[in-house]
Amino acid sequence: MKLRIGSLGALAVALWILPYGLGSYSIHVVNIAVIYALLAIGMGLAMGVSGQINLAQVAFFGVGAYTLAILTTHSGYGFWAAAVLALLATTATGLLVGIPALRMQSHYLGIVTLGLALGFINWITNASISGGADGISGIPLPTLPGIDLSSEYLYYYLELVVCALGLGFGLFVVRTSLGRRLRAMRDDSLAAGAMGAEIPLLRMTAFVLAGLYGGLAGVLYAGLIRYVAPETFSIANMFILLAMVIIGGRRSLVGCVVGAVGLTLIREWLSDFSTYAQLGYGVVVVLMVVFAPTGLAGIPSRALEFVRRRGGRAVNRAELRPFQPYEPVTALESSSLDEPLLEIRSVTKDFRGLRALDDVSLTVAAGEIRGIVGPNGSGKTTLFNVISGFYRASSGKVRFAGRDTTTTRPYTLSLLGLARTFQNLRLFRQLTVRENILVALDRTRTHTVWQYALWQPGVIRRERRLRRQAQKLLERFGLTDFADAAPGSLPYGIQRRIEIARAMATQPRLLLLDEPAAGLNGEEVQQLADIVRSIRDRGTTVVLIEHNMGLVMSLCERVTVLSSGGVIAEGTPAEVVAAPAVIEAYLGDSAMADVPLPGPGPNPDPGPNPGSDPDPTSAPASKEATR
Amino acid sequence: MRKIPAPRTETAATLTVEDLSVHYGGVCAVRSIGFSVEPGASVGIIGANGAGKTSTLKVLMGLVPRSGGRVTLGERDLTRVRARDMVRHGIGYVPEGRHVFPGLSVEKNLLLGAYARRWDDETRATLEEVHQLFPMLREMSGRLAGALSGGQQQMLAIGRALMARPRLLLLDEPSMGLSPKLVGFILDTLQRLREEGLSLLLVEQNAKLTFGATSHCLVMENGTVAMTGTSEELSQDTRVRQIYLGL
Amino acid sequence: MQETLQTLVGGLSLGAVYALVAMGFSLVYRTMGLVNFAHADIAMIGAYAASTFYLTSKLPFAVAMLVAIVVTGAIGLVIERVLRPLENKDFDLMLIGTIGFGIVLQAVAILIWGTTGRAVPSPVRAAPLDLFGVRVRTYDLLVMGVAALAVIGLAWFLARTKRGAAMQAVAMDHEAATAVGIDVGRSNALAFSIGAGLAALAGGLVGPMLYVDASLGGALGIKGFAAAMLGGFGSIPGAVVGGLAIGVLDSYAAGHFQGYSVLVTFLVFTVAIMIRPTGVFGERTVSRA
Repeated sequence: MKLRIGSLGALAVALWILPYGLGSYSIHVVNIAVIYALLAIGMGLAMGVSGQINLAQVAFFGVGAYTLAILTTHSGYGFWAAAVLALLATTATGLLVGIPALRMQSHYLGIVTLGLALGFINWITNASISGGADGISGIPLPTLPGIDLSSEYLYYYLELVVCALGLGFGLFVVRTSLGRRLRAMRDDSLAAGAMGAEIPLLRMTAFVLAGLYGGLAGVLYAGLIRYVAPETFSIANMFILLAMVIIGGRRSLVGCVVGAVGLTLIREWLSDFSTYAQLGYGVVVVLMVVFAPTGLAGIPSRALEFVRRRGGRAVNRAELRPFQPYEPVTALESSSLDEPLLEIRSVTKDFRGLRALDDVSLTVAAGEIRGIVGPNGSGKTTLFNVISGFYRASSGKVRFAGRDTTTTRPYTLSLLGLARTFQNLRLFRQLTVRENILVALDRTRTHTVWQYALWQPGVIRRERRLRRQAQKLLERFGLTDFADAAPGSLPYGIQRRIEIARAMATQPRLLLLDEPAAGLNGEEVQQLADIVRSIRDRGTTVVLIEHNMGLVMSLCERVTVLSSGGVIAEGTPAEVVAAPAVIEAYLGDSAMADVPLPGPGPNPDPGPNPGSDPDPTSAPASKEATR
Repeated sequence: MRKIPAPRTETAATLTVEDLSVHYGGVCAVRSIGFSVEPGASVGIIGANGAGKTSTLKVLMGLVPRSGGRVTLGERDLTRVRARDMVRHGIGYVPEGRHVFPGLSVEKNLLLGAYARRWDDETRATLEEVHQLFPMLREMSGRLAGALSGGQQQMLAIGRALMARPRLLLLDEPSMGLSPKLVGFILDTLQRLREEGLSLLLVEQNAKLTFGATSHCLVMENGTVAMTGTSEELSQDTRVRQIYLGL
Repeated sequence: MQETLQTLVGGLSLGAVYALVAMGFSLVYRTMGLVNFAHADIAMIGAYAASTFYLTSKLPFAVAMLVAIVVTGAIGLVIERVLRPLENKDFDLMLIGTIGFGIVLQAVAILIWGTTGRAVPSPVRAAPLDLFGVRVRTYDLLVMGVAALAVIGLAWFLARTKRGAAMQAVAMDHEAATAVGIDVGRSNALAFSIGAGLAALAGGLVGPMLYVDASLGGALGIKGFAAAMLGGFGSIPGAVVGGLAIGVLDSYAAGHFQGYSVLVTFLVFTVAIMIRPTGVFGERTVSRA
């Protein structure tokens, strides 16, 4: 830590005295480099951090520069007033360009943003207000009391301060609530939605941030050169900017800055061989993409990983600690008594002629542990997707916590108290375990982002509170040793537990578990059973899809059996396994139902049995039988 | 390109699997299992969902990487043969959920089944045989495979695999989502093919159906073989049901 | 009325070129799920190569075109091979990788052909035809004819040949395709080189219509892209319809908004694609949790 502060200080001093060693042309190049650094930060925030392919960054740059130029030369605004308006204009442009992101992603978004950038270039080269191909000259000098900004040396300090603040703010965003959500959205937007992140707003936020930084760069550029012309904002420059971000490392803002400054300097240095230089960037981008997708910024950690693997000294003392049960809640919420927590009324779901769910009705009372079983393809996961808002039922109604949620979006459901896990594990792969938990713990709405602009202490305070809660949750689930690991590097069983911990971080009233025991060994299944019981005892209702019938038999009070999209049986585990329809569905043979069951025997299950179970005579299978 | 002689002219060979294992990430899906399929035999693999049945077939086909073990067909070691060459060694595969090519016509689907062979008169003859086995496929020749019903797609998937004239057919859950009558028809058809010398390895969740269609069965549980025996014996065994229902 | 018809005809010939570009995009996208941003630059290389073989090597136009198609096909093979490790893994990275290749190809074009660009004389010297008062350049007719032949040829290849069927099968289900013995890698490489060849054809044809320089790719590519999206990514008829639509829209915008035609074209395009992201012939994809 000390080393870090020390080297940061040294860097600051070096940057401060840098102009003393440079000629007037060199300082000009450095000034340009700093502007590109700002642009690259914006690009990194949209592409690397938020995963929104944004090929309109030069247009944001241009909107900033041109707005300033037009306002100062045509409308007679002062530089700083025009600068503020220019930033507002780019922010608005960011919102506008971001709208398509609500409807499309990935390559579609790339093409649309590139097309809009082309449209912008087309406009500035033709409109008379922007001076056409000649551009606008005579932009007034920005004035600061006591500082003569006509000197490029002094302008450097202005840029340095702005860029440092910009980088600082960017890093602040990335490392706190908003940035975490953005990164979660990048890694897995479906799971992020299920954890309460408002995806549409977040996408717009990403573009607004990109626009803001682009505008800032544009204002500084106009103040530095005092002349704007279309060729600065060309598509070729857009791709160079992209190369900067990719080479530097799109996921690291510092990497973006390094890439931008480095490439600008190299470009200048090789200006006599610019075509070869261009060839070089292209080749480097291709090589980076194939061999080092995380860019320069990612190389240290990859090298470290490599050395660690070669060294083979796996000093991995980390261990999964036991789960510490929740405090049982004795009295269940009173509201849950009048109405079931979850009610599905004749839901049907069709996929282009294929009926995945056929008139399914299901009621889950608060405090229940409900099992949903059935052969492959019987519609279990589809049912979960309908309940959690990923799919919209073709017909029928879903009611959750007393309201109609048939058409409610996943993030709203999450805020209402519904959490889920996924069959194939959808952890945020580029986030640490702790951050995975933090994303889910964060219950604030996205519109609180105003705090980032106006009241940062509020953000920090909230952050502290969340981190404390996360630590508690990690301890409860025995995950403290893995808090800062990447989930993908951990054994499967631990990843499963992380997913449950993440779902529980949202403080749900209803938890949907999709095959929580898949891939777990016998001991882990036992631990899972304990965890699920404790979750129920703290007052969270649990519905689980599971193939491990042993687990279902020992854990669930009631079981619903689906087959070919319809409910074929419902009841206690013992009733259900004896039902001919179930045996038919599973084994294809109703005659085998005659084979005697191992007797239920006296009920040794010590688990608390909430009053929701309508059939107290039912006997969950004994431990011996479940092996 | 290498030409591999038409399989059925070769002497029949036994498929032998030893010590085969599959891992996905950290999960062990199949743990050193072994079995063999004699020429003209019909062997079933049954078990509950997630027991490792599909993984077993996929690793046999080379579609998922093997973490250990050996697969031989007669004298020939198939362990390192690539998935796309399996069909040239006489192994046909009918994947779970049929996986027909939805945007191509039924006829194209069938012809692609014979991709590894030259498209000639012999292919036409095979197509004729497949049409005789499943007359529906002839009627639907021009339809897009994606527009067929589940049962029709299943027949198409089997027909497509047969077009390569395999010696051994791997079938993954052919009964899934089909009516009992249709399943009966498909199994009868497979039975007829077996009489002509085709070996079958049938993966099924539906135990009764499998017992009826095979001579030997393996019951899988948690990636291992929990029981083996003749289908006759197993159909009487109560433990099968316990494994299924987790009792 | 006559003016509208004239605009329409002008748009159709450029639209035919856009359709060719879009078809290349779509073929590659459909088989590999890859959006090839270098496609536009491949078209530019094709334009340069065709014009060089035609003007400098004095080859007949058709032969020059064929040579250019072969050259760019080879470039396509290289790109596919280099990016193969990313196939079916990281979509966005692959997209950026193709942008990298685009940067490389532009630099290569400048190194070989310089920055000045060139005007290619029309290989057809016949006087414009007069059809019901609408003047139609004979070269435009040639372009439309060749484009139509290419569409028919590609459709024939996909529908009637074993390799064409296999290529579609790979696109629909690569595991099942592998199981019937198709070499997925080779099929993708072939698709990529055909796509590149189509780009070269478009570039070569557009040479005599526009000025050939290193920025040609950008203009051609983005409109080809837009055409592919408008028609529905991955659909061959969609590419044709989209290409013609963008061509006509372009020519209409050029007639009515002069300098702002690009802006108008892309604004209209953005709105259209927002209303229907899957395009005219596109398929709805179901996102699965």
